Amino acid sequence: MAKAEFSVVGSSPGRIGGVERVVGKGVYGIDVMLKDQLHGGILRSQYAHARIVSIDTSEARALRGVHAVVTAADTPDVRYGRSYMDRYILARTKVRYMGDPVAAVAAETPAIVKQALKKIKIVYEPLPVVIDPEEAMKAEAPTLHEDMPLPKNLPEGAKVKNVCGFAAVHVGDPEKAMAEADIIVEEAYETKMIHPQYLEPRMTAAQVEPNGRITVWANAQAPFPVRQEVAKTLGVPLNNVRVISAELGGGFGGKGSGITSGAAIEPICALLAMKANRAVMIVLDKAEETISTTIRAGAKMYIKTGVKKDGTILARTGKVIYDAGAYSGFGTQAGSRCTNMLGGWYLMPNCHIDGYVVYTNKQVCGPVRGPGGPQAAFAVESHMDSIAAQLGMDPAEFRMKNMPKPGDKIVGVAKLRDVSLGETIRIAKEKIGWGKVKLEKNQGIGIATGSWIESAGPGGGAVVKVNEDGSATVHIGKIDMGTIPGFGIPMIVAEELGIPVSDVTVLNVDTDASPWDAGTVGSRGILVSGTASRLAAIDAREQIFKMAASQLEASPDDLEIKDKQIRVKGTPAKSVALATIATNAHNVIGEVIGRGYCDNLKLMAEEKAHGSSQPFTTHACVVEVDPDTGNVKILKYVAVHDIGFPIHRAAVEGQIEGAAAMSIGQALCEQVVFDKNGRTMNPSFVDYLMPTINMMPRIETTLVPGYPGAGPYGAKGAGEIACVPPLACIANAIYNATGVRVRRLPLSPENVLRALKEAGR
Amino acid sequence: MSVTVNTTINGKKITGRAEAATSLLEFLRDSLEMKGTKLCCNTGECGACTVIFNGKPINSCVTLAADAEGAEITTIEGLADGASLHAVQQAFIDTGAVQCGYCTPGYIMSVKVLLDRTTKPTAEDIDEAVSGNICRCTGYAKIVDAIHLAADRLAGRA
Repeated sequence: MAKAEFSVVGSSPGRIGGVERVVGKGVYGIDVMLKDQLHGGILRSQYAHARIVSIDTSEARALRGVHAVVTAADTPDVRYGRSYMDRYILARTKVRYMGDPVAAVAAETPAIVKQALKKIKIVYEPLPVVIDPEEAMKAEAPTLHEDMPLPKNLPEGAKVKNVCGFAAVHVGDPEKAMAEADIIVEEAYETKMIHPQYLEPRMTAAQVEPNGRITVWANAQAPFPVRQEVAKTLGVPLNNVRVISAELGGGFGGKGSGITSGAAIEPICALLAMKANRAVMIVLDKAEETISTTIRAGAKMYIKTGVKKDGTILARTGKVIYDAGAYSGFGTQAGSRCTNMLGGWYLMPNCHIDGYVVYTNKQVCGPVRGPGGPQAAFAVESHMDSIAAQLGMDPAEFRMKNMPKPGDKIVGVAKLRDVSLGETIRIAKEKIGWGKVKLEKNQGIGIATGSWIESAGPGGGAVVKVNEDGSATVHIGKIDMGTIPGFGIPMIVAEELGIPVSDVTVLNVDTDASPWDAGTVGSRGILVSGTASRLAAIDAREQIFKMAASQLEASPDDLEIKDKQIRVKGTPAKSVALATIATNAHNVIGEVIGRGYCDNLKLMAEEKAHGSSQPFTTHACVVEVDPDTGNVKILKYVAVHDIGFPIHRAAVEGQIEGAAAMSIGQALCEQVVFDKNGRTMNPSFVDYLMPTINMMPRIETTLVPGYPGAGPYGAKGAGEIACVPPLACIANAIYNATGVRVRRLPLSPENVLRALKEAGR
Repeated sequence: MSVTVNTTINGKKITGRAEAATSLLEFLRDSLEMKGTKLCCNTGECGACTVIFNGKPINSCVTLAADAEGAEITTIEGLADGASLHAVQQAFIDTGAVQCGYCTPGYIMSVKVLLDRTTKPTAEDIDEAVSGNICRCTGYAKIVDAIHLAADRLAGRA
């Protein structure tokens, strides 16, 4: 769609909510202040795996200033989880990672909370610990969940244990096809756990209202699932729980999976408030957060591909071992996604991949930004370069050779509609200077591609109220963490109602008032709430036109709104102010309230019929490797993306740059490190290395037009896909620079130097 | 043991009580209820709590409130002139450098000190001035744009 058709969408106005954020008046979760608020704290397991013999809270209870102490004994025997219900909000008989919540305290001051937590006496019987998921699958490994069954869909005769999810890809006959291959390349890749490390600490505040209802303030990306799970785990009716979302200081999926994300901080805080009969607020310390909340899981990936001499891919087989952590969390879903993506997004006529999601004594896998995608792409896109090297073929040309066309299928997608992949490769080559840029000694150039889902998961609604002055108030179920509520949504509503963007207020989520939504996850903001808001604004406009039509003596079909005036098309003199109609509505329909819904079943049916118009991307970079220190410096980085129509261009670029940066961090330095007992060695920001400005290259973003998606105006989700290519992109450039392939993350000086040494360089 | 702290915050003389171990960040956020300065790592690593202390950007989480005795402090709440935003604040909005906005107050304070010193910052100047401010949302691209835009506006080039 051409930009000129629109008055607002496609531009980059200042973010709604920008002013309060730059003057320090944005109210984030940790800024919430309740009257007579107590401080809460959580006692976490000091063992990665142990049986709880006894818990004695008497000394803590006796401490002056302590108002409540809670343990599993204060909770109903109800478990929670995503696909597997394998977890209690407070550990009952066993702890399974260092960070597992065991007890909690509410007290007058943070100092008393700390003191009281120390006075809770827990006797543990330590059990053997397993950190490596591949070890955890073996018969001799300790059993983490004695009462959880193995997945029903495991392959026949699979001798495994501690498995909480299994996914498989079966296409064609890979065994037969592999026999016809000229070249077979077989490799193993491994990624490590990273923590999303959003800056705002995880918090919850809770209070019991005079009528007995519980109000919970949470910096959660999914307030409705939090409501449902708080009600369920505390045994209170759903309608007695209200969850209010504050502004979020970052989430990246780490706050996205109901109460799983924060290891049940919300129900624990609510329980304390119920017991203390006072408001309670818990704010996690950053080190406590790193060891206890959800993470991007590490994965081991075995990949084998057979190709013909001309570069045609014939077959792939592989195996994924995906680390769920101590509980299934989002591991089953992320591991399944990783398994599918190991099949790649090129033509793949024959493929068999098994994916095991495995319990270990570590913190739990969450839906962190593109869950499963970056891991798979590290293997797939590094592997593509390894194959190209064996073929003596240019890596970009090898990818083009196996490029799907519209109508083709790829692993996990029955039919593609448009395929922008080749176009993104072409542009990325041009932008990076592929084959042209002069590389100095120790410098190398790399390329890697990626894709992501078009739609998955339930729909969601929007309500657009038009006020007496013609301004609009919008309710959606998605929270504001620098994503659509401040950028795309007000623009969409402004576009459809003919009002300025600054006249649109998008309310934060309050489960008592907002339309239900599964959460601000899965790159689904613009697809779900964008679609719903557009339809709600159109619904509101139709109500307005109906009322204005009689006043203007015209048909509603002949009307338009521009600059807050309703006009007869072609006769601009015949007009009435939007404010007048919105005010008159009080006597006609009460109020202009537009309602919209993103019908996910319809979207899926359409996708099935016309094929998936999922986003594609290519990243390319130039790096310099210091052969003495192993340090990798990125000299140039380009990110080329098809995200359909960009509703707020700067916001889309920002999502791409931020997501790429997060994976550049994972590529170069980030990882959560464990000792053999399951203790996190680098929980604080002092030790957990994240990219600062001086190690981050300027990410040069290019948006590729012409491939509309299923979202409003042809938009596609943009929040996650840029996490997919960077790991392999940088690894490929290192290979190009040194001739050494590093197959295990991070590409830190230590690991790169070791790889160089092992290769005799 | 608590101590009395006499300090000047955003041009206003403040007298308050703080425990000897209370950080300046806690003093600002909890005692004075000035929530604009953000709590994050509490170990002086991320820069979210940056305030200007006698002209220099410091991490208020690892500064004692007691050390603020006699100091001149500027926080994010003291930067705008009434309804008129400081050039750095406006530039952060205009370039899309504010996503979640949680690092923004600290970032803006560090950038203000940089641009008070020079309105022609080099890449090295920027790296040095804000390498202690972590942003997890932007990949720093739009923040660099904001710094240059603010510099240009302050110097009358834009």
